[in-house]
Amino acid sequence: MTQGTMALSDEGSRGAAADATGLIDRLGFSSGKVTMSTNVKLEAVEPAVTGEGEKPLIELRNVSKTFGAVKALSDLEVSIRPGELVTVVGPSGCGKSTLFNILAGLEEPDPGNVLRLKGVSSTASDLLGKVSFMPQRDLLLPWRNVIDNAILALEIEGMPRSEARRQAMEMLPEFGLAGFEAQYPNQLSGGMRQRVALMRTFLFKRDLMLLDEPFGALDALTRTMMQRWLLDVWQKHKRTVLFITHDVDEAIFLGDRVLVMTARPGRIKLEQVVDLPRPRKADIVTSPEFIALKKTLLEAIEEESMKSFQVSGH
Amino acid sequence: MTGVSTSAATLPVASTGRVHAAVKPVLWLALGLLAIEVLVMALEIRPYYLPRPSAIAANIMATPGAYLAGLWRTFLETALGFVAGSLFGVLMAVIFHRWVTLRELFFPLFVVSQTIPVIAFGAVVVLWFGNTLFAKAVISFYISFLPVTVNTLLGFSSVDPRQVQLMRSFGANDVQILRRLYLPAALPQLFVALKLASSLALVGAIVGEWFGDTTGLGVLLLQAMYNENVVGIWATIVVSACLGMGLYSLVSLAERKIVFWGGEQ
Repeated sequence: MTQGTMALSDEGSRGAAADATGLIDRLGFSSGKVTMSTNVKLEAVEPAVTGEGEKPLIELRNVSKTFGAVKALSDLEVSIRPGELVTVVGPSGCGKSTLFNILAGLEEPDPGNVLRLKGVSSTASDLLGKVSFMPQRDLLLPWRNVIDNAILALEIEGMPRSEARRQAMEMLPEFGLAGFEAQYPNQLSGGMRQRVALMRTFLFKRDLMLLDEPFGALDALTRTMMQRWLLDVWQKHKRTVLFITHDVDEAIFLGDRVLVMTARPGRIKLEQVVDLPRPRKADIVTSPEFIALKKTLLEAIEEESMKSFQVSGH
Repeated sequence: MTGVSTSAATLPVASTGRVHAAVKPVLWLALGLLAIEVLVMALEIRPYYLPRPSAIAANIMATPGAYLAGLWRTFLETALGFVAGSLFGVLMAVIFHRWVTLRELFFPLFVVSQTIPVIAFGAVVVLWFGNTLFAKAVISFYISFLPVTVNTLLGFSSVDPRQVQLMRSFGANDVQILRRLYLPAALPQLFVALKLASSLALVGAIVGEWFGDTTGLGVLLLQAMYNENVVGIWATIVVSACLGMGLYSLVSLAERKIVFWGGEQ
Protein backbone atom coordinates (compact mmCIF):
# COMPACT_ATOMS: atom_id res chain seq x y z
CA MET A 1 0.00 0.00 0.00
CA THR A 2 2.94 2.25 0.53
CA GLN A 3 3.80 1.77 -3.09
CA GLY A 4 1.60 4.64 -4.12
CA THR A 5 3.67 7.20 -2.30
CA MET A 6 7.02 5.56 -2.77
CA ALA A 7 9.71 7.83 -4.00
CA LEU A 8 9.99 7.41 -7.71
CA SER A 9 13.58 8.24 -8.31
CA ASP A 10 14.51 8.59 -11.91
CA GLU A 11 18.20 8.27 -11.39
CA GLY A 12 19.31 4.70 -11.27
CA SER A 13 21.33 2.10 -12.99
CA ARG A 14 20.33 1.33 -16.49
CA GLY A 15 20.84 -2.38 -15.81
CA ALA A 16 17.14 -3.02 -15.87
CA ALA A 17 17.17 -2.35 -19.58
CA ALA A 18 17.94 -6.04 -19.98
CA ASP A 19 14.25 -6.62 -19.61
CA ALA A 20 13.42 -4.61 -22.70
CA THR A 21 16.31 -6.02 -24.67
CA GLY A 22 14.99 -9.50 -24.03
CA LEU A 23 11.78 -8.54 -25.69
CA ILE A 24 13.55 -7.23 -28.75
CA ASP A 25 15.52 -10.45 -28.96
CA ARG A 26 12.40 -12.51 -28.93
CA LEU A 27 10.83 -10.43 -31.65
CA GLY A 28 13.92 -10.57 -33.73
CA PHE A 29 14.85 -14.20 -33.52
CA SER A 30 11.60 -16.10 -33.87
CA SER A 31 11.21 -17.29 -37.40
CA GLY A 32 8.26 -17.29 -39.74
CA LYS A 33 7.88 -21.03 -39.25
CA VAL A 34 6.66 -20.63 -35.70
CA THR A 35 3.94 -18.22 -36.63
CA MET A 36 2.43 -20.63 -39.12
CA SER A 37 1.92 -23.32 -36.53
CA THR A 38 0.55 -21.02 -33.85
CA ASN A 39 -2.04 -19.44 -36.03
CA VAL A 40 -4.55 -22.14 -35.15
CA LYS A 41 -4.08 -21.58 -31.47
CA LEU A 42 -4.79 -17.87 -31.82
CA GLU A 43 -8.08 -18.52 -33.55
CA ALA A 44 -9.22 -20.44 -30.53
CA VAL A 45 -8.63 -17.55 -28.19
CA GLU A 46 -10.27 -14.95 -30.36
CA PRO A 47 -13.98 -15.51 -29.64
CA ALA A 48 -13.56 -14.10 -26.13
CA VAL A 49 -15.43 -10.99 -27.17
CA THR A 50 -17.07 -8.86 -24.54
CA GLY A 51 -20.75 -9.04 -24.16
CA GLU A 52 -21.31 -10.37 -20.70
CA GLY A 53 -23.34 -8.36 -18.24
CA GLU A 54 -22.07 -4.81 -18.02
CA LYS A 55 -22.85 -2.25 -20.69
CA PRO A 56 -19.77 -1.04 -22.52
CA LEU A 57 -18.63 2.49 -21.82
CA ILE A 58 -17.52 2.92 -25.36
CA GLU A 59 -18.14 0.77 -28.37
CA LEU A 60 -16.68 0.95 -31.86
CA ARG A 61 -17.97 -1.11 -34.76
CA ASN A 62 -17.03 -1.09 -38.44
CA VAL A 63 -14.67 1.77 -37.85
CA SER A 64 -12.41 2.45 -40.85
CA LYS A 65 -10.16 5.35 -41.62
CA THR A 66 -8.55 6.14 -44.93
CA PHE A 67 -5.94 8.83 -45.51
CA GLY A 68 -5.80 9.33 -49.25
CA ALA A 69 -4.68 6.00 -50.63
CA VAL A 70 -3.67 4.58 -47.26
CA LYS A 71 -6.15 2.60 -45.26
CA ALA A 72 -5.12 3.03 -41.63
CA LEU A 73 -8.00 1.23 -39.97
CA SER A 74 -10.37 -1.33 -41.41
CA ASP A 75 -13.58 -2.52 -39.74
CA LEU A 76 -12.18 -2.12 -36.29
CA GLU A 77 -14.26 -3.34 -33.38
CA VAL A 78 -13.50 -2.37 -29.82
CA SER A 79 -15.64 -2.23 -26.77
CA ILE A 80 -14.54 -1.21 -23.32
CA ARG A 81 -16.43 -1.71 -20.09
CA PRO A 82 -16.37 0.85 -17.29
CA GLY A 83 -13.41 0.48 -14.96
CA GLU A 84 -11.43 -1.68 -17.35
CA LEU A 85 -7.79 -1.17 -18.20
CA VAL A 86 -7.38 -2.30 -21.78
CA THR A 87 -3.98 -2.29 -23.45
CA VAL A 88 -3.38 -2.18 -27.19
CA VAL A 89 -0.25 -3.55 -28.83
CA GLY A 90 0.62 -3.86 -32.47
CA PRO A 91 3.37 -3.38 -34.99
CA SER A 92 4.43 0.17 -35.65
CA GLY A 93 2.27 2.00 -38.15
CA CYS A 94 -0.74 -0.21 -37.48
CA GLY A 95 -3.08 2.69 -36.85
CA LYS A 96 -2.97 2.70 -33.06
CA SER A 97 -2.60 6.44 -32.99
CA THR A 98 -5.39 6.86 -35.52
CA LEU A 99 -7.63 4.83 -33.24
CA PHE A 100 -6.71 7.12 -30.38
CA ASN A 101 -7.28 10.26 -32.36
CA ILE A 102 -10.75 9.01 -33.25
CA LEU A 103 -11.52 8.23 -29.63
CA ALA A 104 -10.20 11.63 -28.55
CA GLY A 105 -12.52 13.26 -31.08
CA LEU A 106 -9.67 14.66 -33.16
CA GLU A 107 -10.34 12.62 -36.25
CA GLU A 108 -13.58 11.51 -37.85
CA PRO A 109 -13.66 7.89 -39.06
CA ASP A 110 -14.90 7.03 -42.55
CA PRO A 111 -18.70 7.02 -42.93
CA GLY A 112 -20.59 3.86 -42.08
CA ASN A 113 -19.14 3.40 -38.63
CA VAL A 114 -20.85 2.82 -35.33
CA LEU A 115 -19.48 4.72 -32.36
CA ARG A 116 -21.37 4.51 -29.13
CA LEU A 117 -20.51 6.32 -25.93
CA LYS A 118 -22.49 4.84 -23.01
CA GLY A 119 -24.87 3.31 -25.51
CA VAL A 120 -25.53 6.64 -27.23
CA SER A 121 -24.64 6.83 -30.90
CA SER A 122 -22.11 9.63 -31.46
CA THR A 123 -19.73 11.11 -33.99
CA ALA A 124 -16.07 11.43 -33.14
CA SER A 125 -16.30 15.21 -32.73
CA ASP A 126 -18.90 14.61 -29.99
CA LEU A 127 -16.07 13.05 -28.04
CA LEU A 128 -14.01 16.26 -27.97
CA GLY A 129 -13.65 17.20 -24.33
CA LYS A 130 -15.29 13.93 -23.22
CA VAL A 131 -12.16 11.84 -23.10
CA SER A 132 -8.96 12.61 -21.26
CA PHE A 133 -6.16 12.10 -23.69
CA MET A 134 -2.47 11.82 -23.09
CA PRO A 135 -0.27 11.79 -26.19
CA GLN A 136 3.15 10.17 -26.51
CA ARG A 137 5.08 13.31 -25.74
CA ASP A 138 4.38 15.07 -22.50
CA LEU A 139 3.68 18.35 -24.36
CA LEU A 140 4.09 20.45 -21.24
CA LEU A 141 4.03 24.19 -21.73
CA PRO A 142 7.52 25.52 -20.94
CA TRP A 143 6.16 28.80 -19.56
CA ARG A 144 3.96 27.10 -17.00
CA ASN A 145 5.22 25.49 -13.82
CA VAL A 146 4.24 22.00 -12.70
CA ILE A 147 1.03 22.98 -11.02
CA ASP A 148 -0.14 25.27 -13.83
CA ASN A 149 0.64 22.64 -16.44
CA ALA A 150 -1.37 20.11 -14.47
CA ILE A 151 -4.44 22.36 -14.29
CA LEU A 152 -4.45 23.27 -17.99
CA ALA A 153 -7.48 21.14 -18.81
CA LEU A 154 -9.38 22.31 -15.72
CA GLU A 155 -8.72 25.92 -16.68
CA ILE A 156 -10.08 25.30 -20.15
CA GLU A 157 -13.20 23.83 -18.58
CA GLY A 158 -13.63 27.16 -16.83
CA MET A 159 -12.69 26.20 -13.28
CA PRO A 160 -11.23 29.16 -11.35
CA ARG A 161 -7.46 28.92 -11.13
CA SER A 162 -7.33 28.94 -7.36
CA GLU A 163 -9.74 26.02 -7.09
CA ALA A 164 -7.92 24.11 -9.84
CA ARG A 165 -4.56 24.70 -8.15
CA ARG A 166 -5.95 23.48 -4.84
CA GLN A 167 -7.14 20.23 -6.42
CA ALA A 168 -3.81 19.76 -8.14
CA MET A 169 -1.85 20.46 -4.95
CA GLU A 170 -3.73 17.64 -3.24
CA MET A 171 -2.74 15.25 -6.00
CA LEU A 172 0.95 16.15 -6.09
CA PRO A 173 2.20 13.65 -3.45
CA GLU A 174 0.39 10.80 -5.16
CA PHE A 175 2.21 11.60 -8.38
CA GLY A 176 5.56 11.84 -6.63
CA LEU A 177 5.75 15.56 -7.32
CA ALA A 178 5.34 17.02 -3.83
CA GLY A 179 7.59 20.04 -3.47
CA PHE A 180 8.00 20.39 -7.23
CA GLU A 181 4.89 22.49 -7.84
CA ALA A 182 6.88 25.63 -8.62
CA GLN A 183 9.41 23.99 -10.95
CA TYR A 184 9.33 24.55 -14.67
CA PRO A 185 9.34 21.67 -17.19
CA ASN A 186 12.95 22.28 -18.25
CA GLN A 187 14.00 21.67 -14.64
CA LEU A 188 12.38 18.22 -14.51
CA SER A 189 13.56 14.77 -15.54
CA GLY A 190 11.77 12.80 -18.24
CA GLY A 191 9.94 10.62 -15.73
CA MET A 192 8.74 13.61 -13.75
CA ARG A 193 7.56 15.43 -16.86
CA GLN A 194 5.59 12.35 -17.80
CA ARG A 195 4.00 12.26 -14.36
CA VAL A 196 3.00 15.90 -14.68
CA ALA A 197 1.39 15.05 -18.01
CA LEU A 198 -0.37 12.08 -16.40
CA MET A 199 -1.56 14.26 -13.59
CA ARG A 200 -2.97 16.70 -16.13
CA THR A 201 -4.83 13.76 -17.68
CA PHE A 202 -6.08 12.52 -14.31
CA LEU A 203 -7.28 15.95 -13.23
CA PHE A 204 -9.36 16.19 -16.40
CA LYS A 205 -11.91 13.80 -14.94
CA ARG A 206 -13.51 11.94 -17.80
CA ASP A 207 -15.02 8.47 -18.08
CA LEU A 208 -12.36 7.29 -20.47
CA MET A 209 -8.63 7.91 -20.30
CA LEU A 210 -6.53 7.41 -23.40
CA LEU A 211 -2.83 6.91 -22.79
CA ASP A 212 -0.69 6.76 -25.92
CA GLU A 213 2.63 5.11 -25.06
CA PRO A 214 3.03 7.32 -22.03
CA PHE A 215 6.19 5.57 -20.86
CA GLY A 216 7.69 4.92 -24.28
CA ALA A 217 10.45 7.48 -23.94
CA LEU A 218 11.54 6.50 -20.43
CA ASP A 219 14.44 4.24 -19.52
CA ALA A 220 13.52 0.69 -18.53
CA LEU A 221 13.93 1.14 -14.79
CA THR A 222 11.85 4.29 -14.62
CA ARG A 223 9.29 2.63 -16.84
CA THR A 224 8.72 -0.33 -14.51
CA MET A 225 8.39 2.03 -11.57
CA MET A 226 5.87 4.11 -13.48
CA GLN A 227 3.88 1.00 -14.44
CA ARG A 228 3.53 -0.12 -10.84
CA TRP A 229 2.66 3.36 -9.80
CA LEU A 230 0.05 3.69 -12.55
CA LEU A 231 -1.62 0.47 -11.39
CA ASP A 232 -1.83 1.84 -7.85
CA VAL A 233 -3.32 5.11 -8.98
CA TRP A 234 -5.70 3.35 -11.35
CA GLN A 235 -6.92 0.96 -8.68
CA LYS A 236 -7.51 3.83 -6.31
CA HIS A 237 -9.37 6.05 -8.77
CA LYS A 238 -11.08 3.27 -10.75
CA ARG A 239 -10.92 4.95 -14.12
CA THR A 240 -11.46 3.33 -17.49
CA VAL A 241 -8.19 3.31 -19.38
CA LEU A 242 -7.17 2.48 -22.91
CA PHE A 243 -3.41 2.21 -23.02
CA ILE A 244 -1.31 2.00 -26.17
CA THR A 245 2.12 0.45 -25.94
CA HIS A 246 4.48 -1.62 -28.01
CA ASP A 247 5.98 -3.28 -24.97
CA VAL A 248 4.24 -6.65 -24.53
CA ASP A 249 5.37 -6.94 -20.90
CA GLU A 250 3.82 -3.61 -20.16
CA ALA A 251 0.61 -4.60 -21.95
CA ILE A 252 0.20 -7.79 -19.89
CA PHE A 253 1.38 -6.32 -16.62
CA LEU A 254 -1.13 -3.47 -16.76
CA GLY A 255 -4.08 -4.78 -18.70
CA ASP A 256 -7.32 -6.57 -17.94
CA ARG A 257 -7.36 -7.33 -21.62
CA VAL A 258 -4.75 -6.98 -24.32
CA LEU A 259 -5.81 -6.14 -27.84
CA VAL A 260 -3.36 -7.03 -30.58
CA MET A 261 -3.78 -5.02 -33.75
CA THR A 262 -2.97 -6.26 -37.22
CA ALA A 263 -0.56 -4.59 -39.58
CA ARG A 264 -2.06 -1.81 -41.66
CA PRO A 265 -4.94 -1.60 -42.22
CA GLY A 266 -5.45 -2.00 -38.49
CA ARG A 267 -7.99 -4.41 -37.10
CA ILE A 268 -8.14 -6.27 -33.83
CA LYS A 269 -6.29 -9.49 -34.50
CA LEU A 270 -6.49 -10.95 -31.06
CA GLU A 271 -8.18 -10.13 -27.84
CA GLN A 272 -6.45 -11.71 -24.88
CA VAL A 273 -7.99 -11.60 -21.41
CA VAL A 274 -5.31 -11.26 -18.75
CA ASP A 275 -6.62 -13.12 -15.71
CA LEU A 276 -3.63 -12.48 -13.51
CA PRO A 277 -4.70 -11.55 -9.98
CA ARG A 278 -4.58 -7.94 -8.83
CA PRO A 279 -2.84 -6.20 -7.18
CA ARG A 280 0.02 -7.32 -9.37
CA LYS A 281 3.49 -7.45 -7.92
CA ALA A 282 6.59 -6.71 -9.91
CA ASP A 283 7.70 -10.35 -9.87
CA ILE A 284 4.55 -11.47 -11.64
CA VAL A 285 6.43 -11.04 -14.92
CA THR A 286 8.36 -14.23 -14.15
CA SER A 287 5.32 -16.37 -13.33
CA PRO A 288 4.48 -19.20 -15.77
CA GLU A 289 1.05 -17.69 -16.47
CA PHE A 290 2.64 -14.41 -17.47
CA ILE A 291 5.19 -16.15 -19.68
CA ALA A 292 2.45 -18.15 -21.38
CA LEU A 293 0.45 -15.03 -22.13
CA LYS A 294 3.52 -13.29 -23.37
CA LYS A 295 4.30 -16.17 -25.71
CA THR A 296 0.83 -16.07 -27.23
CA LEU A 297 0.91 -12.32 -27.69
CA LEU A 298 4.43 -12.17 -29.03
CA GLU A 299 3.62 -14.75 -31.63
CA ALA A 300 0.59 -12.78 -32.77
CA ILE A 301 2.58 -9.55 -32.93
CA GLU A 302 5.50 -11.22 -34.62
CA GLU A 303 3.23 -12.43 -37.37
CA GLU A 304 1.88 -8.94 -37.95
CA SER A 305 5.29 -7.33 -37.75
CA MET A 306 6.53 -9.66 -40.48
CA LYS A 307 3.55 -8.70 -42.63
CA SER A 308 4.07 -4.98 -42.25
CA PHE A 309 7.76 -5.48 -42.82
CA GLN A 310 7.13 -7.29 -46.06
CA VAL A 311 4.66 -4.69 -47.24
CA SER A 312 6.74 -1.65 -46.53
CA GLY A 313 10.22 -3.05 -46.62
CA HIS A 314 10.80 -4.14 -50.22
CA MET B 1 -0.69 15.65 2.42
CA THR B 2 -0.88 19.30 3.41
CA GLY B 3 -1.23 21.59 0.45
CA VAL B 4 1.49 24.20 0.53
CA SER B 5 -0.22 27.07 -1.22
CA THR B 6 2.30 28.90 -3.29
CA SER B 7 1.00 31.28 -5.87
CA ALA B 8 2.70 30.69 -9.17
CA ALA B 9 2.65 34.43 -9.80
CA THR B 10 5.15 35.06 -7.03
CA LEU B 11 7.69 32.54 -8.22
CA PRO B 12 11.31 33.52 -8.19
CA VAL B 13 12.48 33.78 -11.74
CA ALA B 14 16.16 33.34 -12.45
CA SER B 15 17.46 36.84 -12.94
CA THR B 16 21.19 36.49 -12.97
CA GLY B 17 23.10 39.06 -14.95
CA ARG B 18 20.14 41.36 -15.49
CA VAL B 19 21.80 44.44 -14.04
CA HIS B 20 25.02 43.40 -15.65
CA ALA B 21 23.37 43.23 -19.06
CA ALA B 22 21.90 46.69 -18.63
CA VAL B 23 25.22 48.22 -17.56
CA LYS B 24 27.39 46.49 -20.11
CA PRO B 25 26.45 48.57 -23.19
CA VAL B 26 27.05 51.78 -21.20
CA LEU B 27 30.51 50.55 -20.21
CA TRP B 28 31.36 49.70 -23.77
CA LEU B 29 30.18 53.12 -24.88
CA ALA B 30 32.43 54.85 -22.36
CA LEU B 31 35.38 52.76 -23.47
CA GLY B 32 34.69 53.52 -27.13
CA LEU B 33 34.45 57.26 -26.45
CA LEU B 34 37.76 57.21 -24.66
CA ALA B 35 39.38 55.41 -27.58
CA ILE B 36 38.01 57.98 -30.06
CA GLU B 37 39.22 60.86 -27.88
CA VAL B 38 42.72 59.42 -27.89
CA LEU B 39 42.62 58.70 -31.63
CA VAL B 40 41.36 62.16 -32.60
CA MET B 41 44.13 63.80 -30.58
CA ALA B 42 46.82 61.43 -31.75
CA LEU B 43 45.94 61.70 -35.47
CA GLU B 44 45.16 65.43 -35.18
CA ILE B 45 41.81 65.07 -36.94
CA ARG B 46 40.18 68.46 -37.51
CA PRO B 47 36.98 69.04 -35.48
CA TYR B 48 35.15 69.63 -38.78
CA TYR B 49 35.45 65.93 -39.55
CA LEU B 50 35.31 64.48 -36.07
CA PRO B 51 35.26 66.53 -32.87
CA ARG B 52 36.73 65.13 -29.70
CA PRO B 53 34.16 63.31 -27.52
CA SER B 54 35.05 65.65 -24.66
CA ALA B 55 34.09 68.61 -26.85
CA ILE B 56 30.81 66.90 -27.68
CA ALA B 57 30.16 66.27 -23.99
CA ALA B 58 30.95 69.90 -23.22
CA ASN B 59 28.50 70.98 -25.90
CA ILE B 60 25.76 68.86 -24.36
CA MET B 61 26.53 70.11 -20.87
CA ALA B 62 26.44 73.73 -22.08
CA THR B 63 22.79 73.53 -23.07
CA PRO B 64 21.44 70.40 -21.41
CA GLY B 65 17.89 71.74 -21.45
CA ALA B 66 17.64 71.77 -25.23
CA TYR B 67 18.93 68.25 -25.54
CA LEU B 68 16.72 66.95 -22.74
CA ALA B 69 13.65 68.56 -24.27
CA GLY B 70 14.56 67.07 -27.66
CA LEU B 71 15.22 63.70 -26.10
CA TRP B 72 11.91 63.71 -24.29
CA ARG B 73 9.96 64.77 -27.36
CA THR B 74 11.58 62.18 -29.61
CA PHE B 75 11.16 59.54 -26.93
CA LEU B 76 7.43 60.22 -26.74
CA GLU B 77 7.06 59.99 -30.52
CA THR B 78 9.09 56.80 -30.66
CA ALA B 79 7.36 55.17 -27.71
CA LEU B 80 3.91 55.98 -29.01
CA GLY B 81 4.71 54.69 -32.48
CA PHE B 82 6.51 51.64 -31.15
CA VAL B 83 3.76 50.57 -28.76
CA ALA B 84 1.03 51.15 -31.32
CA GLY B 85 3.06 49.43 -34.03
CA SER B 86 3.76 46.42 -31.83
CA LEU B 87 0.15 46.02 -30.77
CA PHE B 88 -1.04 46.42 -34.35
CA GLY B 89 1.65 44.02 -35.54
CA VAL B 90 0.56 41.31 -33.10
CA LEU B 91 -3.10 41.93 -33.87
CA MET B 92 -2.48 41.57 -37.60
CA ALA B 93 -0.51 38.38 -36.98
CA VAL B 94 -3.43 36.96 -35.01
CA ILE B 95 -5.86 37.92 -37.78
CA PHE B 96 -3.62 36.51 -40.50
CA HIS B 97 -3.17 33.35 -38.48
CA ARG B 98 -6.86 32.89 -37.85
CA TRP B 99 -8.08 33.72 -41.36
CA VAL B 100 -5.71 32.38 -43.94
CA THR B 101 -7.71 33.96 -46.77
CA LEU B 102 -7.09 37.39 -45.29
CA ARG B 103 -3.40 36.61 -45.08
CA GLU B 104 -3.28 35.63 -48.73
CA LEU B 105 -5.15 38.81 -49.67
CA PHE B 106 -3.43 41.39 -47.52
CA PHE B 107 -0.05 40.12 -46.47
CA PRO B 108 1.55 40.93 -49.85
CA LEU B 109 0.10 44.44 -49.49
CA PHE B 110 1.81 44.72 -46.12
CA VAL B 111 5.13 43.86 -47.64
CA VAL B 112 4.60 46.26 -50.55
CA SER B 113 3.74 49.03 -48.11
CA GLN B 114 7.19 48.65 -46.59
CA THR B 115 8.89 49.13 -49.93
CA ILE B 116 7.61 52.72 -50.07
CA PRO B 117 10.53 54.73 -48.68
CA VAL B 118 9.58 56.19 -45.33
CA ILE B 119 10.78 59.62 -46.51
CA ALA B 120 8.22 59.71 -49.30
CA PHE B 121 5.53 58.50 -46.97
CA GLY B 122 6.57 60.95 -44.24
CA ALA B 123 5.73 63.98 -46.36
CA VAL B 124 2.18 62.75 -46.82
CA VAL B 125 1.76 62.00 -43.12
CA VAL B 126 2.88 65.50 -42.16
CA LEU B 127 0.45 66.92 -44.73
CA TRP B 128 -2.34 64.87 -43.18
CA PHE B 129 -1.61 65.32 -39.49
CA GLY B 130 0.40 68.55 -39.43
CA ASN B 131 3.54 69.23 -37.43
CA THR B 132 2.29 67.28 -34.47
CA LEU B 133 3.73 64.67 -32.17
CA PHE B 134 1.06 62.35 -33.52
CA ALA B 135 2.34 62.66 -37.09
CA LYS B 136 5.81 61.45 -36.03
CA ALA B 137 4.29 58.63 -34.03
CA VAL B 138 2.43 57.57 -37.18
CA ILE B 139 5.70 57.35 -39.10
CA SER B 140 7.28 55.34 -36.26
CA PHE B 141 4.24 53.10 -36.26
CA TYR B 142 4.40 52.63 -40.02
CA ILE B 143 8.03 51.61 -39.96
CA SER B 144 7.83 49.25 -36.96
CA PHE B 145 4.75 47.05 -37.29
CA LEU B 146 5.76 44.74 -40.13
CA PRO B 147 8.68 42.97 -38.44
CA VAL B 148 6.38 42.35 -35.47
CA THR B 149 3.73 40.80 -37.68
CA VAL B 150 6.24 38.65 -39.55
CA ASN B 151 7.96 37.35 -36.44
CA THR B 152 4.75 36.73 -34.54
CA LEU B 153 3.51 34.64 -37.46
CA LEU B 154 6.82 32.81 -37.40
CA GLY B 155 6.33 32.17 -33.67
CA PHE B 156 2.81 30.86 -34.29
CA SER B 157 4.06 28.44 -36.90
CA SER B 158 6.57 27.00 -34.42
CA VAL B 159 3.73 25.65 -32.27
CA ASP B 160 3.63 21.84 -32.16
CA PRO B 161 0.38 20.74 -33.86
CA ARG B 162 0.12 17.92 -31.33
CA GLN B 163 -0.04 20.56 -28.63
CA VAL B 164 -3.01 22.11 -30.41
CA GLN B 165 -4.66 18.69 -30.68
CA LEU B 166 -4.16 18.13 -26.98
CA MET B 167 -5.83 21.46 -26.18
CA ARG B 168 -8.67 20.55 -28.55
CA SER B 169 -9.13 17.20 -26.83
CA PHE B 170 -9.64 19.16 -23.61
CA GLY B 171 -12.45 20.95 -25.40
CA ALA B 172 -10.58 24.26 -25.81
CA ASN B 173 -11.98 26.85 -28.21
CA ASP B 174 -9.92 29.02 -30.56
CA VAL B 175 -9.60 31.92 -28.13
CA GLN B 176 -8.38 29.65 -25.34
CA ILE B 177 -5.85 28.02 -27.63
CA LEU B 178 -4.66 31.43 -28.80
CA ARG B 179 -4.28 32.80 -25.29
CA ARG B 180 -2.80 29.76 -23.62
CA LEU B 181 -0.73 28.34 -26.44
CA TYR B 182 -0.08 30.47 -29.53
CA LEU B 183 0.60 33.82 -27.90
CA PRO B 184 3.01 32.57 -25.21
CA ALA B 185 4.71 30.29 -27.72
CA ALA B 186 5.32 33.25 -30.05
CA LEU B 187 6.88 35.41 -27.33
CA PRO B 188 10.53 34.49 -27.99
CA GLN B 189 10.15 35.34 -31.68
CA LEU B 190 8.07 38.40 -30.88
CA PHE B 191 10.82 39.85 -28.72
CA VAL B 192 13.36 39.50 -31.48
CA ALA B 193 11.08 41.68 -33.59
CA LEU B 194 10.39 44.13 -30.77
CA LYS B 195 14.09 44.83 -30.36
CA LEU B 196 14.36 45.53 -34.07
CA ALA B 197 11.16 47.59 -34.04
CA SER B 198 12.37 49.77 -31.16
CA SER B 199 15.35 50.89 -33.24
CA LEU B 200 13.23 51.34 -36.35
CA ALA B 201 10.66 53.40 -34.46
CA LEU B 202 13.39 55.82 -33.37
CA VAL B 203 14.51 56.22 -36.97
CA GLY B 204 10.91 56.92 -37.93
CA ALA B 205 10.53 59.60 -35.27
CA ILE B 206 13.77 61.41 -36.17
CA VAL B 207 13.05 61.33 -39.89
CA GLY B 208 9.51 62.50 -39.18
CA GLU B 209 10.85 65.57 -37.36
CA TRP B 210 12.77 66.60 -40.48
CA PHE B 211 9.48 67.43 -42.14
CA GLY B 212 9.05 70.27 -39.71
CA ASP B 213 8.86 70.71 -35.98
CA THR B 214 10.28 72.87 -33.25
CA THR B 215 11.61 70.35 -30.77
CA GLY B 216 13.07 66.89 -31.02
CA LEU B 217 16.40 65.28 -31.80
CA GLY B 218 15.70 65.41 -35.53
CA VAL B 219 15.13 69.16 -35.27
CA LEU B 220 18.38 69.64 -33.35
CA LEU B 221 20.17 67.64 -36.00
CA LEU B 222 18.79 69.83 -38.81
CA GLN B 223 19.54 73.07 -36.96
CA ALA B 224 23.10 72.02 -36.27
CA MET B 225 23.53 71.02 -39.89
CA TYR B 226 22.29 74.36 -41.26
CA ASN B 227 24.55 76.23 -38.84
CA GLU B 228 27.49 73.98 -39.74
CA ASN B 229 27.70 73.29 -36.03
CA VAL B 230 29.64 70.05 -36.33
CA VAL B 231 29.94 69.54 -32.59
CA GLY B 232 26.20 70.07 -32.31
CA ILE B 233 25.55 67.40 -34.95
CA TRP B 234 27.71 64.96 -33.07
CA ALA B 235 26.13 65.85 -29.76
CA THR B 236 22.71 65.08 -31.20
CA ILE B 237 23.98 61.81 -32.61
CA VAL B 238 25.26 60.83 -29.17
CA VAL B 239 21.97 61.71 -27.49
CA SER B 240 20.06 59.76 -30.17
CA ALA B 241 22.35 56.80 -29.67
CA CYS B 242 21.66 56.93 -25.93
CA LEU B 243 17.94 56.96 -26.59
CA GLY B 244 18.22 54.07 -29.02
CA MET B 245 20.27 52.01 -26.61
CA GLY B 246 17.96 52.86 -23.75
CA LEU B 247 14.94 51.64 -25.68
CA TYR B 248 16.72 48.49 -26.77
CA SER B 249 17.84 47.75 -23.21
CA LEU B 250 14.31 48.28 -21.96
CA VAL B 251 12.94 45.73 -24.43
CA SER B 252 15.77 43.31 -23.61
CA LEU B 253 15.01 43.65 -19.93
CA ALA B 254 11.35 42.91 -20.54
CA GLU B 255 12.37 39.92 -22.64
CA ARG B 256 14.52 38.49 -19.87
CA LYS B 257 11.68 38.90 -17.42
CA ILE B 258 8.89 37.59 -19.61
CA VAL B 259 10.53 34.89 -21.73
CA PHE B 260 12.24 33.27 -18.77
CA TRP B 261 11.97 29.78 -20.22
CA GLY B 262 14.13 30.67 -23.20
CA GLY B 263 13.45 29.40 -26.67
CA GLU B 264 12.65 25.84 -25.58
CA GLN B 265 10.23 23.87 -27.76
